[in-house]
Amino acid sequence: MKEIILAFMASLCPGILYNVTRRNLLWVGLSGMFGWIVYAWMLEVTGNVVFSSFLGAVVVGLYSESIARLKKAPAMVFSIPGIFPLVPGIAIYNSTQYISENNILESASTGIQAIASAASIASGILLVSAFFRITKRNKRIKDTE
Amino acid sequence: MKIKQVMDIAIKAGKILLTNGSEIYRVEDTIRRICKSYGVEAECFVLPTGIFITVIGKDGEPLSFVKRINERAVDLSCIERVNSFSRNLQKNILSYEEAIKTLKSIEEKKGYRFLVRFLVAGITAFVYTLLFKGTINDSIAAFLIGMLIYISKEKVSKAGIFRFFEHFASGLIAASMSVIAVKLFSSLNVYRIIISSIIILLPGVAITNAIKDALSGDIVSSLFGIAEAIFTVVSISAGVAIILSLGLGWI
Repeated sequence: MKEIILAFMASLCPGILYNVTRRNLLWVGLSGMFGWIVYAWMLEVTGNVVFSSFLGAVVVGLYSESIARLKKAPAMVFSIPGIFPLVPGIAIYNSTQYISENNILESASTGIQAIASAASIASGILLVSAFFRITKRNKRIKDTE
Repeated sequence: MKIKQVMDIAIKAGKILLTNGSEIYRVEDTIRRICKSYGVEAECFVLPTGIFITVIGKDGEPLSFVKRINERAVDLSCIERVNSFSRNLQKNILSYEEAIKTLKSIEEKKGYRFLVRFLVAGITAFVYTLLFKGTINDSIAAFLIGMLIYISKEKVSKAGIFRFFEHFASGLIAASMSVIAVKLFSSLNVYRIIISSIIILLPGVAITNAIKDALSGDIVSSLFGIAEAIFTVVSISAGVAIILSLGLGWI
């Protein structure tokens, strides 16, 4: 429960730093919260950081694309602060630290983990926005007919 | 309305979007939509560093504009406002003066006050330390360092030495302050403090935009975004690594 509140704050605060308008702030916080819940849950079940980040990003993407239609705001307003708690900060840092300790092998392996997590977040967002774009295009074609 | 005035509105809207961290396809879409709602067919090409737009006038003479974009920040509320401005324009046409006035007010609209953002930067670091399973003492140290980094980032980016210097300097400050804090209070955990205080600098916007641009076929802009993200991370890590190489033996 504590972590859920923290995750809510953890995407609300970057939202404020990125100047999200006041009426959207609550929804921005929820975006990060849902992403984190799925991420933490999957991490417990599978133990795979990269796959959990992917699913977390998919949830953030789904949430922000749907809420964007409700609130009539661009989806990026919700998705960018939402993926903040999933960003592989620890792996990036560890990779840096191993370099300064002259431990190149460990540095490479954590570095690759960081890249893989970032790529999986990216592909999660990609998948969802590709899906939503297809439905949008179908709708547009229907409108013009 | 004259074609020149339509282009003026379109360029201004595009510039606000691009300087505040929008995706490329959104900028092109907005420009096209604005021109269309005034009944002008425009061809536009947008890069992260510039906007090119050309219109064929009624007498067949082409008219084109180039706008160079130098600064880039992130302000999601500006993007939201310009987006709804361009959508509303399709329903009811504004006159040139009205449109320019609206865009100017969007551009000049200040977000949260500096004090609020300053505190929030600290709270972000505080929250992330707890999220990464740090203790409350770690979080308090991260809170102070997070605020310090926010100030230094704002000041250095205003001084404008070169583009990634602010990230390098923030990495240096974060690592050196954490090392000093751990030297003073040995119960603290150096890595949690550093990670949490630099988390606000990580290039989330650049990466997500790069992906969405790739999806809409703007490969050049997408590569630009990925390169920007890599440079940002590398310059933060360089700052952190320099201090850690010196400092880890010392504490």
